[in-house]
Amino acid sequence: MDFNTWFEGIKNTFLRCFVAEERYMLLLEGIGVTIKVALLAIALGLVIGFLIALCNLSKSKPLNIIGKIYTDVIRGTPSVTQLMIIYFVVFASVSLEKWIIASFAFAINSGAYVSEIIRAGILSIDKGQTEAGRSLGLNAKQTMFSIVVPQAVKNIFPALCNEFITLIKETAIVGYVGLMDIQKAGDFIKSATYEAFMPLIATAIVYFVLIKILTVTLGKLEARLRKSDMR
Amino acid sequence: MIKVHNLHKSFGEIQVLNGIDEHIEKGEVVVVIGPSGSGKSTFLRCLNLLEEPTEGEVYLDDVQINAPKADINTIRAKMGMVFQHFNLFPHLTVLENITLAPVKLKKMTKEEAVAKAKELLNVVGLPDKADAYPSQLSGGQKQRIAIVRALAMDPEVILFDEPTSALDPEMVGEVLDVMKDLAKAGMTMVVVTHEMGFAREVGTRLLFMDEGVIIESGNPREVLENPQNERTQSFLSKVL
Repeated sequence: MDFNTWFEGIKNTFLRCFVAEERYMLLLEGIGVTIKVALLAIALGLVIGFLIALCNLSKSKPLNIIGKIYTDVIRGTPSVTQLMIIYFVVFASVSLEKWIIASFAFAINSGAYVSEIIRAGILSIDKGQTEAGRSLGLNAKQTMFSIVVPQAVKNIFPALCNEFITLIKETAIVGYVGLMDIQKAGDFIKSATYEAFMPLIATAIVYFVLIKILTVTLGKLEARLRKSDMR
Repeated sequence: MIKVHNLHKSFGEIQVLNGIDEHIEKGEVVVVIGPSGSGKSTFLRCLNLLEEPTEGEVYLDDVQINAPKADINTIRAKMGMVFQHFNLFPHLTVLENITLAPVKLKKMTKEEAVAKAKELLNVVGLPDKADAYPSQLSGGQKQRIAIVRALAMDPEVILFDEPTSALDPEMVGEVLDVMKDLAKAGMTMVVVTHEMGFAREVGTRLLFMDEGVIIESGNPREVLENPQNERTQSFLSKVL
């Protein structure tokens, strides 16, 4: 087998996998679904995470218990199980778009991890910062939001980025509830063409590129956050 | 101006303050000295409720500040505090450090606060540091900024918690000079310190604390030169 026939074979497989019946569209639409689900989940997850972190840091016992149970349950069960419970049980009779319900599931999951990151970040800020804020007459909330949180965000930024990346990859299970994301698209092409190599490698590349774009963007943002550290 | 009655503070089992009665008048510069662990910092921190007294009352201008209904934030806005470790906000510029509280608490507009901050920076000799971040400053500069930050709120009294203890020796002078100027200008000050020279020169009254009580109180020169109590004598013989 010379190089030309080998190359010809590769080309044909490629065309069959991605061009025939416009199957590249499946992947493109999959990218859209993955991004939609992940972005909404990241945003909601941050909100949930912050609220749960406040529960865990609060002096009120009932709030502590709520926070503790939340993180315990979420961390103690697989995300596929959570996704399916949210989709087929909790939201079974609610008419929302599939991707939004899936986002809720990922946000609820991510919130538990984000809350631990935020809690650690807030605790990492020296007590003297809070005391300085309170001694000036700022109330607890003002001190939290103008003094503690901005500094904590800077400290926890790398850990949050990790969580975002994990979350994007985690969305590869949305096929379980019938959404056509990147993973499902690759899988679909595999079944339709009986080719495993190309569709699966393409799936991996698409995820990789997406996450690379995210890390580069977040890296730039972090550099800007670090401005006040420069000497 | 500040009245303290029967002040007790304990951390769990450990009794730190054992009944303090003290009256601080407007314009006084009260210097608090004593061995480490004597409760002087805790006493100071009880005055603006950074520590909650376990027993007793603290009054500012005849208002009990540790009453359950007291509006502690409004009261704290009238009492500045300067910390041993400066506690400047590292994510904000010097100007933002100074203007944050006056603007947030609607005491001044942004423009007024900035103008006032610049004026105060001039007074402490740091007019060119307005846009610097705390990490770019020396310890002495940080502490002078921290004093300005407290002053920006127009406090009635400023509490100093060992303001020069974390400084390199060559920077102690510049901070003490600012404090001396403040005292001369009539600011009421309560200063926990180990600087006996400052106590003698600037203090209007000296309190010696040991084991959670005030043991001796009086004119700084007299107490330093002729201490009446045995424990004051023994402490001063070690530090002077």
